[in-house]
Amino acid sequence: MMRVSRKLRKWTATILDLPQDVALDLPRITMIGGLQLTVENHRGILHFSPESLRLAMDNGEMEVTGRDLVIRNIGTEEVFVEGQIMGVQLHVKGKTPG
Amino acid sequence: MRANWVAYARGYVWVKLIGKQSEAFVNAATRERIELWDISFGRAGELTFGVSIPDFFRLRPILRQHGCRTRIISRHGLPFRMARLSRRKTFAAGMLGFVLILFILSSLIWDVRIEGSSAIPEEKILQAAKAEGIYDYQWSFRLGNAATLSQRLAQRLPEAAWVGVEKKGTSIKITVVDSTKPEQKKLEGPRHLVAKTDAVITKIVAENGRPKVERNDRVRKGEILISGILGSETDQKAVVSKGKVMGLVWHEYRIATPLETKTKNLTGESQERKYLIIGNRALQISGYGNSAFDSSEIRTTVQRAQLWQRLLPFGTMKEHELEVVEIEKILTPEQAKEAGLSQARAELLAKCGPESTIKAENILHEQTENGKVMLTVLFEVEQSIEVERPIF
Repeated sequence: MMRVSRKLRKWTATILDLPQDVALDLPRITMIGGLQLTVENHRGILHFSPESLRLAMDNGEMEVTGRDLVIRNIGTEEVFVEGQIMGVQLHVKGKTPG
Repeated sequence: MRANWVAYARGYVWVKLIGKQSEAFVNAATRERIELWDISFGRAGELTFGVSIPDFFRLRPILRQHGCRTRIISRHGLPFRMARLSRRKTFAAGMLGFVLILFILSSLIWDVRIEGSSAIPEEKILQAAKAEGIYDYQWSFRLGNAATLSQRLAQRLPEAAWVGVEKKGTSIKITVVDSTKPEQKKLEGPRHLVAKTDAVITKIVAENGRPKVERNDRVRKGEILISGILGSETDQKAVVSKGKVMGLVWHEYRIATPLETKTKNLTGESQERKYLIIGNRALQISGYGNSAFDSSEIRTTVQRAQLWQRLLPFGTMKEHELEVVEIEKILTPEQAKEAGLSQARAELLAKCGPESTIKAENILHEQTENGKVMLTVLFEVEQSIEVERPIF
């Protein structure tokens, strides 16, 4: 059932030329240089330290690595991170990281 | 929300979190829609963040759930300021006092000014204004509005045609416009018009009263020309006699005119000397040397230094020395006679009044003696001869 609805939504998005994040409820990541990062549609913090921030997503995790990371603002949908960002990695559920 | 004025108004605290499950705590806080900002790790590895005061109290159950504790690092915002201010009583009182004094002073009338060129003395206007409650250091709010004030002030000043009261801040301007009045007539008592001197009447016009003389009558000094008494012997009334009486009057004049006249003339040559004044001493600055002129006239101008209205004991003095030459003029007896006569005519007309005219002149005697021309002249002058004499 889930797969059918997801397929339908994906099809609608392609037909109507909608951005994927709106249609599929995927996280949208906006990064400004290596300094600021905004993640929309996250599902909570899994781990936070000055070197890494792991966020939960619908189908997996996302890891932001860097130095002196600070969460400037956090809301139910949105996280705004500042610091020296070095990498963003997505770990999709059921697959090996990479 | 961070560090803007809303946060400042509500007040916020910097908090240090002590506990293990910091991520879970942050997630729980977000789920409760509690806003945390600037979440970062301190040196010792503990989480610090900012939170507004109302949100801080809502954090408590979440903290208990996750077995965490908080420690406040610093407090910011208006509520804390106010709390601190309430501890400093004198300071708060001073602030309040300042506002209060400013309010009190600005609700006083500091200045009452009177404008408009009015014949009514300013003292009287001020007195009337005072009676209506307009005076210096009066409370501004005790005054009525300007329209009624000006109306009532106008009632107190019947001489004024219009009174305007204008309030501008802490000063009041009263404008008074005079009503124009007819000219006041001089008070006159009943009187006669009598002759000033012996004369022959040439013209008599009586506006009021009864004329007693006619044209070509000879009158003596003090004779009644126009009588102020009307009516018969038994039934009479005294009035203010008015009129115009012209008469011929003889004046004898003795004139002595010198044949030699000396006049002082300026040659146009001049010298200037400048001095510096200190107290009552003068120090010469320029124009040294003796005077180059035989006879001269010195004109001095003193310029004292002034500080506002006060004269200072310093200044400069300028001496202007002008060369003078005396010119002697020798007249012939004819010229001297003519000069003497014209001077006598001018004097006579000035003495007899503006309406007088010289009708004739007779030289009775003429003699040249000791460099002078001596003349005796009889002038016949037509002039007004009436003078008032009151009837008692």
